[in-house]
Amino acid sequence: MFKNQQIEQLPAIEELTFKGIQKAYLKVIFIHLLLFFLVAFAGLFLLIRYKLQEDVLAYESYLYLGVLSVFFFVLLILIVGFSKRKYALREKDISYKSGIFLKKITTVPFSRIQHVEVDERPVSRIFKLASISVFTAGDSSDDLEIKGIKKTEALQIKEFISQQINE
Amino acid sequence: MSSTHCFTEFSKQSPKGILVIYGNLLYKLLKGTWFLLFLFIKDFSKITEETLGYIYLGIAVVLLLFLFRAFLLYKNFQFKIAEGHFVLKQGIFKKTDTSVSLDRIQNINFKQNIIQQLIQVYEVSIETAGSVKTEIAIKALSYERAQELKSQILLTSPSFEDDSEMLEEKPLLKISVLELLKVSLTENHFKSLLLFLAILIGLYQQVKDLIKSLGKTADFDSYFGEGAAVIYGSLVLITIFLLLLIVIGVLGSFVRVFLFHFNLTVFVKDQAFEINQGLTTKKSILLKKEKVQSITISTNPIKEKLGISYVVFKQAISGKVVKKKYKAIKIVGCKAAQVAKIKELLFDTEKLEAAEKHHVDGYYKTRMYFRSSIVLFLFNLILYISFEELTLFFWNILLIPVFGLLIHLSFKKTFYKFSRDLLLLGSGSLGTHYSYLPFFKVQNIEMKQNIFQEKRNIVDLVFQTAAGKIKIPCINKDKAVEIYNYTLYKVENSTAPWM
Repeated sequence: MFKNQQIEQLPAIEELTFKGIQKAYLKVIFIHLLLFFLVAFAGLFLLIRYKLQEDVLAYESYLYLGVLSVFFFVLLILIVGFSKRKYALREKDISYKSGIFLKKITTVPFSRIQHVEVDERPVSRIFKLASISVFTAGDSSDDLEIKGIKKTEALQIKEFISQQINE
Repeated sequence: MSSTHCFTEFSKQSPKGILVIYGNLLYKLLKGTWFLLFLFIKDFSKITEETLGYIYLGIAVVLLLFLFRAFLLYKNFQFKIAEGHFVLKQGIFKKTDTSVSLDRIQNINFKQNIIQQLIQVYEVSIETAGSVKTEIAIKALSYERAQELKSQILLTSPSFEDDSEMLEEKPLLKISVLELLKVSLTENHFKSLLLFLAILIGLYQQVKDLIKSLGKTADFDSYFGEGAAVIYGSLVLITIFLLLLIVIGVLGSFVRVFLFHFNLTVFVKDQAFEINQGLTTKKSILLKKEKVQSITISTNPIKEKLGISYVVFKQAISGKVVKKKYKAIKIVGCKAAQVAKIKELLFDTEKLEAAEKHHVDGYYKTRMYFRSSIVLFLFNLILYISFEELTLFFWNILLIPVFGLLIHLSFKKTFYKFSRDLLLLGSGSLGTHYSYLPFFKVQNIEMKQNIFQEKRNIVDLVFQTAAGKIKIPCINKDKAVEIYNYTLYKVENSTAPWM
């Protein structure tokens, strides 16, 4: 009986306007993926060249094709998934959502945040991008990380959260 | 309580502490070198008289050296209370000074392992908030000294009340040996068996590694292989083997329950529970109310008949980057009245009982069927690959109904209820579990939805706390969003400390 009254006043997560991450981060994802698959291809090449038996060699082109199709498949998923990565900041909490096949939305209230971290990884740095992570006393693998936002914005958010925590 | 000893000057542990430290050192030594000992015994006959003499001499020297080390460790371990700080000096070569402000001390626990029980000293561990490294353990103090130290620390610490008269109170819960027998009998023996097997496999691997390094793998494997072949061949042996497993399972439960819960007593004081239990290692834990993140009350059909259940308190531990951040404290053999009392002390459950019970969506069942068919498929695949014996697939006739029953029960038992401050989640398959979580203890909240759930407009809701997560599976999305918003509202508006 209480909740009908209460819920009406509650700030609603579904009405929140979420903001997409920086378009440039798609390039970062692409470069990461490319690097990964280059290593995979090199490994495959060496394997075929030196280790495998003759009878497998007949399927050499199929092997390359297989890895290549996995590459394009992963790329496709990442591109589609990219537009789903969104975040929102409110006065008292921060939210992040992502996922195509498994949609997820996480909200962390500022009052439970233990510390905030801004990371710049090598490839992201080229595009002046950074990621922001917040940590709570809960299991850290389930805390929130937003990758691919402008470094200046990441620092601003960090500053904002720090201020809110200290109040 | 009159203070006969003042801790303002540096004091040492009880001299018996040398024995405790020595015992600890030897235990560590034995743990590191047991396989050498094993080798020694195995090849005992091959060793000549002369080398044997040297070996004994070596062992004697090592034992003496460790005794000397224990003595030095004892000699260099000093502590005092001064200027609102607990100060500890320790270390032989690398000296360490630790100083903890008294008002940051959260908990003082007493513990006794088997050596400490024999020589009647207590280990006092001091839990502090904040940094990880300030977990302090004083290995050996007489009971009076330990009590004095505790009361002196607590007296000066504003967050504590004096609890000297507490022990005279009647305990909330006291478990006799007979009751403990009942608890053991009604445990999940299958779990005990699995635990036992896990230990056995670990041991087997260790021995195998050892033998491998000696180049005798073939012998070992063929020995086990032959054994397996013999067992496999005979129905009588299989039956005996199964009976043996059951006996091991039951025995395992007894050992587990008696080891951890022997002489269990629970006292209630103002804002905390004091829990004492354990056979070889006696533990005395002061569990403060606000540190409890959630509790789970569990029972199973047989325990239910006997009117007993067990309670698991999930407690947050201070310190940021500890690997295992929380500890669960379990007490067994609680009667309904005691459970009610525990609930009443921790939360306001009155409104919750009257609240509406919500069941989860039928998709939850479908998902469990799907997941268990994958497990069954993999099981059969492994069977098919490793043995070419078709009769083994008859196991499926047994397994499929068991899976079906477990899923049916699990679906029936999953529900949730909530009041203004509290969430109750029911779960379990053979057993029944009720988890209670106050909304304001939530650290972060997550909503998950896969594509199948999307069609049915349902989601999983995951509450992350400082002591593990609690998940409500497959509930209507609108309902979930309401709870999501409400939880955030509660967390963001609460001023009570979550720990």
